Amino acid sequence: MINKKTCAAALVAFTFSMPAVAEEPMNDLEIAHTAYTAGQIDIRYAHLALALSQNEDVRAFAATMVRDHTAVNDAAGALITELNVTPQDNALSQALVKGAGEKVEELTGLRGKAFDCAYATNELGYHQVVNQTVEGKFIPNTTVEPLKDLLTDALATFKQHEKHAENMVSGLKCS
Amino acid sequence: MLVKRTYTRRQAGALLGAGFAALFLSGAPRAGEAPRTHKIDIRKFKFAPAALIIKAGDSVEWTNHDIAPHTATDEEGDWDTGTLSRSQSATLTFKTPGTYSYFCAFHPQMTATLTVEA
Ligand SMILES: [Cu+2]
Repeated sequence: MINKKTCAAALVAFTFSMPAVAEEPMNDLEIAHTAYTAGQIDIRYAHLALALSQNEDVRAFAATMVRDHTAVNDAAGALITELNVTPQDNALSQALVKGAGEKVEELTGLRGKAFDCAYATNELGYHQVVNQTVEGKFIPNTTVEPLKDLLTDALATFKQHEKHAENMVSGLKCS
Repeated sequence: MLVKRTYTRRQAGALLGAGFAALFLSGAPRAGEAPRTHKIDIRKFKFAPAALIIKAGDSVEWTNHDIAPHTATDEEGDWDTGTLSRSQSATLTFKTPGTYSYFCAFHPQMTATLTVEA
């Protein structure tokens, strides 16, 4: 069974590690919920960057995150409507939301280069972890073919984001 | 530069027709050879073909097959397809010879070249 306390603790201990919560693999509806949630979280980070950063590269990256994750989640929404199913909230989604809330709070207090570096580093770590999870767990465990296809397309997009974030971090010359 | 955003096949045909008409009226086509429309696919964050050689007066139609929106944007800022969502196309006509490096304005790691020969 899923232990919420453990996964929240894991998130605090390792900022970028996706908490290893479930003994049994997540089902399609849980995977759909968590994938959608992960996208919404990155959109939230991006809006914060657009509000707080003055750096052109950071702002361009954030605008791309809003644009791409919105496109992926719109496609997910259309699929969910078509299949007439309801995604299931789950411990991993909840842990992600909680972790994101804390990260947003931290980022909100920063300005200038400190903000840019914290945002960029978090984007890199976040995409790395999400990509590992989508590739290693979500796609292999998905049984509904159109959802698997969507996750595969989404992964291709998120991998580009990871590369883009890597370039952003090195361009900012943080620490 | 003629910029035609195309959303449906029927619209694409109409716009393409309009493009050729405009080209004809402007007197641009070369003697003896009709202008062509070349296709470039944007798939998995790549332009394919990534290098294309065309003749002045030809057109290029970019089609995005990814979920993520893309653009084809000239590095010098001379031309731009604008945002292409999934399944959208845009056609541009090239009259000025030269080698154009272009990229996706949203994903700058996506790059390609277009050579326009006289
Ligand atoms: Cu792009």
